[in-house]
Amino acid sequence: MTNRENYLAIARRQGYEYMPVHFNMCPSLQEKFRQYQETHDLFIPEGPSHVGSLPMICAKPEDFLPYYENKPLKPGANIDKWGVAHEPGSKAAFHMTYMRHPMEDFDSLEQIRSYPFPVFTPEGAEQQKARTEALHAAGKAVQGALNCSLWEQAWYLRGMENLFCDMMSEDPMAEELLDRVTDVAVKQIESLAAAGVDSVYFGDDIGMQHTIMMSEELYRYWLQPRLKRVIDAAKAIKPDILIIYHSCGHINELIPNLIEAGIDILNPIQPESMEFRQIHAEYCDRLSFHGTIGTQTTMPFGTPAEVRQKVFENLDIAGKKGGLFVAPTHMLEPEVPVENVVAYIRACAEYTSR
Amino acid sequence: MYDFLELNKMVETGKVKVVKELVQNALNDGVSPAAILNEGLLPGMNAVGEKFKNNQVYIPEVLISARALNTGIGLLKPLLSADAVEKPGVAVIGTVHGDLHDIGKNLVKMMLESKGIEVIDLGVDVTAEQFLDAAAEHGAQVICCSTLLTTTMFEMENVVKEAAARGVRDNLFIMVGGAPLSDAFCEKIGADCYMPDAASAADAALAWLKEKNA
Repeated sequence: MTNRENYLAIARRQGYEYMPVHFNMCPSLQEKFRQYQETHDLFIPEGPSHVGSLPMICAKPEDFLPYYENKPLKPGANIDKWGVAHEPGSKAAFHMTYMRHPMEDFDSLEQIRSYPFPVFTPEGAEQQKARTEALHAAGKAVQGALNCSLWEQAWYLRGMENLFCDMMSEDPMAEELLDRVTDVAVKQIESLAAAGVDSVYFGDDIGMQHTIMMSEELYRYWLQPRLKRVIDAAKAIKPDILIIYHSCGHINELIPNLIEAGIDILNPIQPESMEFRQIHAEYCDRLSFHGTIGTQTTMPFGTPAEVRQKVFENLDIAGKKGGLFVAPTHMLEPEVPVENVVAYIRACAEYTSR
Repeated sequence: MYDFLELNKMVETGKVKVVKELVQNALNDGVSPAAILNEGLLPGMNAVGEKFKNNQVYIPEVLISARALNTGIGLLKPLLSADAVEKPGVAVIGTVHGDLHDIGKNLVKMMLESKGIEVIDLGVDVTAEQFLDAAAEHGAQVICCSTLLTTTMFEMENVVKEAAARGVRDNLFIMVGGAPLSDAFCEKIGADCYMPDAASAADAALAWLKEKNA
């Protein structure tokens, strides 16, 4: 099987030859991993190749400063393309930042309507297509990612407390904001689908550690139809495109809504919040999975043997047909031992279904 | 006896405008501000807290109820004399050093306030020294430490150690909370209490303060 055939076979539960790895590391762990690789031979089973999203045309960072006039930003704050500010923390906070919301003080629909949302230029579309075709010609699977979520991007702009209150009181501001963000996501995913990518990764955190974040009723009223709109837009262009949807935490009760919206692969099945065996038993005829190796437990605090055992155990649950891209459930943070990253990679490389 | 049922319900369901009206009506009827707070507003928010604990409602319901509560309190504040309101105690709250997440911490703060506990919010990235300094400054008996990250969870142990080093450990109830935590972790670092949700945390803080100050 080529890399692409193997990837699609796992995603579609058709039997596979090898388990590709997928993981992200924070900058300090990347450096330790790089040093490890200098002195050790490590075979890394390759996952899909990635294509970037369309370039964004957006206001300049300084154009967003008036939105922070009431509570000025800390020195060193960085303003992103959406106008969301990210303030640095102490040295102990490593790469993490504190988010500030430009729409925090908004109290009228007009303020949202006149906000400088980013727009995407179609100029990058040709490039996306050319890169996807070249990768396919080389037998590689291609995954795109939306650099825009729906719920999360909307609350990054407005603040979570404010947006939840807007939604609860059916404030037209919530509708306008969510629609504007959804419009951007639709443009993005249409272009990835037209380029011919095999899968698109995106998502929103809609779970807490032990419960769903909002009621199913609220989710279905505000967010699920917009998620469906984004997925429908992609599948109208490329019906067999695979949608990999991410939400941290416990989302059991919301999974049927995600399936109804058209997702194909659910990430990350956080083991501290959901039982993979149970989720798999319930949905394995309709869904594939990505993740399952805990980044609050096994990856930082387990032994390399425990990491290996978890990888094998979960791949065994998924079975010979596949349906699981086994991976750490989140970015690997500074406290994860390099040995555990290596154990994860080796376990994927050495796994053969039993 | 004034009928607060409607006000309770409107706080619980987060109807800000109606809460404003009902609080004003009660004041016009000559009801004391303390009674409006204790019997009209706080029970509504507490009802949400109970439902939140039992997964019958979720974050949005808590937020909108807290907003209604705060609107009501805003009307009463200028009229409330300090001694007319029963204050169970003072809590210092913050997200520990190295962690910048505050959604969970803010929920706990809301729940503590709904119990009448005065909360000193130190924000995020708070060092052990800052927790203890603030507790001393404000006469707090409860310290609530929050974290989302495995990277920073052990920072909570420094708060416990700092309290011991300053000789004030026995006077303080040190509570820990956040996604990766557990009872076992709480015990391991020598903290006093871990609760898995914001409403239970507020219950535990209130119970401890009542017992301590009985």
